Amino acid sequence: MTTSQSTSLDDPTAADPVVEIRNATVRFGMERGESRVLDDVSLDLERNEIFGVVGESGSGKSMLASAMLDAVVEPGILDGSITYRPEAGDPIDVLGLTTNELRTFRWEEIAMVFQGAMSSFNPVRKIDTHFVETLSAHDYDVDEGMERARGLISDLYMDPERVLDSYPHELSGGMKQRTLIALSLILEPDVLVMDEPTAALDLLMQRSIVSLIEEIKEEYDLTILFITHDLPLVADLADRIAVMYAFEFVELGPTEEILQHASHPYTRLLLKSTPNLASPIEAMRPIEGSAPDPVNVPSGCSFHLRCPLADEQCVEVDPEAYSVSDSSVSVTGSDSDSDLSPDSDATSIPNSDAGDHVANCHYWEDAPETIPMTEEWDVEGIDAIDSAPGPSRTADPLVSMEDVEVHFETEGSFLDFFSEPDTVQAVDGISLDIYENDVVVLVGESGCGKTTFGKTAVGLQEPTDGAVKYRGQDIWDLKRSGGDGTMSFDTVRRALQIVHQDPGSALNAHRRVGTSLEVPLKRWNPELDGNDRKSRIVSLLEHVGMSPAEDYIDRYPHQLSGGEQQRVALIRAMLMNPDLILADEPVSALDVSLRVEMMDLMIELQEQFDTSYLFVSHDLSNARYIAEKTGGRIGVVYLGELVEIGRPEEIIHDPQHPYTQALRWATPEPDFEGGGMGGESPIREIDVPDPTDPPSGCRYHTRCPEAREVCTREHPEPNEASAAAYHEAACFRTDDHHEYWNSPSITDGGD
Amino acid sequence: MTASDRDRTDPGRAEKSHESAVSAIPDGGTVNSPFEVVSEYEETRRDRLRKLYDTYVYAPISIIKRDWRAQIGFTIVLFYVFMGTIGVYLIEPTYVTEGPALAQPFETWEYPLGTDDMGRDLFASVVHSTSEMLKMILAGGLFTVTLGTVVGGIAGYKGGVVDTVLSSITDVFINLPGLPTVMVLALMLPIHGNPYLIGVLLTIASWGGLARAIRSQVLTLRQEPFTEAARSMGVPSHQIVFRDIVPHLMPFVIINLTNAARRVIFSAAGLYFLGVLPFSNHNWGVTLDLAYSGGAHYRTGALHWFLVPMVAIVGISIGLILLGQSLDRVFNPRVRARHEKKFAESQLEEVDPDSDDDSEPMIGAA
Repeated sequence: MTTSQSTSLDDPTAADPVVEIRNATVRFGMERGESRVLDDVSLDLERNEIFGVVGESGSGKSMLASAMLDAVVEPGILDGSITYRPEAGDPIDVLGLTTNELRTFRWEEIAMVFQGAMSSFNPVRKIDTHFVETLSAHDYDVDEGMERARGLISDLYMDPERVLDSYPHELSGGMKQRTLIALSLILEPDVLVMDEPTAALDLLMQRSIVSLIEEIKEEYDLTILFITHDLPLVADLADRIAVMYAFEFVELGPTEEILQHASHPYTRLLLKSTPNLASPIEAMRPIEGSAPDPVNVPSGCSFHLRCPLADEQCVEVDPEAYSVSDSSVSVTGSDSDSDLSPDSDATSIPNSDAGDHVANCHYWEDAPETIPMTEEWDVEGIDAIDSAPGPSRTADPLVSMEDVEVHFETEGSFLDFFSEPDTVQAVDGISLDIYENDVVVLVGESGCGKTTFGKTAVGLQEPTDGAVKYRGQDIWDLKRSGGDGTMSFDTVRRALQIVHQDPGSALNAHRRVGTSLEVPLKRWNPELDGNDRKSRIVSLLEHVGMSPAEDYIDRYPHQLSGGEQQRVALIRAMLMNPDLILADEPVSALDVSLRVEMMDLMIELQEQFDTSYLFVSHDLSNARYIAEKTGGRIGVVYLGELVEIGRPEEIIHDPQHPYTQALRWATPEPDFEGGGMGGESPIREIDVPDPTDPPSGCRYHTRCPEAREVCTREHPEPNEASAAAYHEAACFRTDDHHEYWNSPSITDGGD
Repeated sequence: MTASDRDRTDPGRAEKSHESAVSAIPDGGTVNSPFEVVSEYEETRRDRLRKLYDTYVYAPISIIKRDWRAQIGFTIVLFYVFMGTIGVYLIEPTYVTEGPALAQPFETWEYPLGTDDMGRDLFASVVHSTSEMLKMILAGGLFTVTLGTVVGGIAGYKGGVVDTVLSSITDVFINLPGLPTVMVLALMLPIHGNPYLIGVLLTIASWGGLARAIRSQVLTLRQEPFTEAARSMGVPSHQIVFRDIVPHLMPFVIINLTNAARRVIFSAAGLYFLGVLPFSNHNWGVTLDLAYSGGAHYRTGALHWFLVPMVAIVGISIGLILLGQSLDRVFNPRVRARHEKKFAESQLEEVDPDSDDDSEPMIGAA
């Protein structure tokens, strides 16, 4: 692939690009053909901008980052040209660098922050060793560099001495990720490539890191390429956004333009399929179909199989980048739709103005009409929308938990006889009743005990104190006594089921789908023979949209996509005919565009089988989707305590507990209307306190913006939070006559 | 495109298939939930056998057919089995002064591998000791692997008191001084050259290590969501251990099986050579011992007396190693999936995007 580099370099419209990527293509030769995991991508990264790249998993966005650093793994082949222009000095042709030059180039000029902060550090070495090694490997002055490291770490709101002196495991996930950002900036690069830097983190931490990135960028004069699957998250941060689909850009433009005038059908559908807090749930629709295989990218427009606008032209002609603007409808680039050369769509991007908004779609003009973002609803009316009525919560509860506590003891050292063992109070005194056909969604940061609490509710974790009752019977008493005639532990076991977060490991990799699904039938329906079991499994697979089912039945889990695996896991739980299913983050491992579909399926099955769900989620918008659609409740968990519970209307629109308000703030929202959002961070400390030594009094007082002196002493009990039914919060602020209001504030010196 | 399109789900089709699921119910009428569907056909014995055949015979063989290590290993092992079973009927047992002393190998058809200093045919003696050796290998290998897997699996899965007791027993056996114990026991116990007992005796100290290793693996696997899911479905513990967990460890178990078998051969040959084990017939170890005491290592023209039993020992050992290495592919679901009948027919073109061969390059793209 030859590139006329000189012409594009002379392009007067390109303002001041730091990195120019031209026609970058990455190919892998495979047994079954050549796979293009980056297809002719061109991009100008402007100096000092934050450029967001958005795409679903497997859309080639990480490959773009690797290509920028010429770090494509063997045996991939990278074609095209990548030019880096330092502030002073001659442009560098990245692909022409020798191995040694590349080593200096990476990190010193362009640095990268990877997704898994956990695996980016060597677990047996202290953090400072990582900094020192990086500095000395690049022949930098170590003392001066470490000084800079301390500065960086404190800019990221951490204590430099403590961080540098710890081993990686002693830092929380968020701290590790921030330390990694500091490490990547230690050699003062000009460009920072961040590949899903927040994907493994909680919303609150995500949001905090995103605001830190903005500060860091200003202070260190950086250009940032931010890669993510989360459009609302990057929308808050980036100056320009590119949307990737099937290994190429489908739409590129300034953030506001993309959000308000998205012109590619994929972008519009992606925006619609992302659960959020602002739009009514009826507006959220899944994108049909799934992303193409890298070997078999459809001809013409790669999106035409899933696109509601597609016609023959889309199948035949690969659309180039059409400039989207209100005044001109001119086609940029060389012109003519009949130009089928593979370079056609690539050449147009460099020629377009940097502020331009381009979409690779023949029918970009029609897209807004065909796929309206705001259907029949108007934004003002959202708050009035009521969720489904939900079950009556007057009868006897199905499962009730009374003051449940789960404490894990950490083992003391061998000769340590006298000191008290550390206990992690995973769950500390939660009471909750779940009724027939009820849905409760637990929301909270990771490590706050929501999964442990969920497992306690379905009898997979024995509580250290308190009782879990199924239809009035204490299930652990039942297990020990072996049942009393009216009910046995087997009944309980059958009634309470679980669907795991990671469907890949929830299914036994050595068993076929059919064999896995037979297990509950063999165990509980011994009257069925092999053919009966098979017909039932086939009909179920078809019911959840996996057809031809005879084909799926013989597959191993690795031959299914994530969504299909999750469906199998869900059917397996349903085959037990349970009363309550614990769904432990059932959609967080799936692609954004599949989440709504999966949640809809779960809701549909619930209606069919009169099951109750206990959902666990760290994402408030997913929680709201489920709860609103089923008339359920949302419970907010913080450090082993249920701090607020209520129907979604109250939790989302009228949160009483400051922690719920913080979660609400942290949930990114696509901003169709323009204008800013968010505002000041409502938390005083980014990091969650150590669960082995929770704060006294109200556990949230260390981070709460409203904390007063009484909060450090007294522990608030849950009480009625508002006039609405089932709305309770554990905060003194809900009581108008509490001592709290006269207590001195502790937030002033708190920072 | 059509091929890979098939494994995508599209919701449009989901609805259609929903209808078809309801309408496709064989007896029609009362059934309207897919959770109540039953088949109109009784499952026959034949169906069941065919399924078993597919899983346990057809698939493994078709995998093995494509692996050169398996082919060689299988050929070698089958050859030994043939010698030990049918060979003994084809070849007359040898006796003293059957032929001339120390006839050289490959000289006459009568004594293809030559004779020893008493005129015994070495070929016949190799053939006739094979069956005894195979019995020892079988007994020793199975004993080690079965006991090691069962004890390790249960100890790891159950934990608590069960684990403490089983692990303590395991530790005792690990710490037995292997060779001296075997010698003492061989003299004390009335084994009378029973090959099965000898096989077990030789591995008495070696199952402990396997049990420990299996236990540590099970400790991590029992935390996996799929075992938790099985627990929540009320599947009995023994089924979880042996149907869910142990299959994940099969490659490891198989390698240990072949290693245990090789250990049996080597220690049997060694102990016969030392004259510790009781014997009634000649075997490879005994022949080596006789060759040594007959001075084959310095007498001219007697080297084959040493070499023949040695080659027999090395040969089966290599066969077992190759077989063990290739068998772990049989237990890999990704490899299996590509070879089983149904997939062999319908899916040759359609390999999942993240099947093992091409997962490497895709990591970056994910």
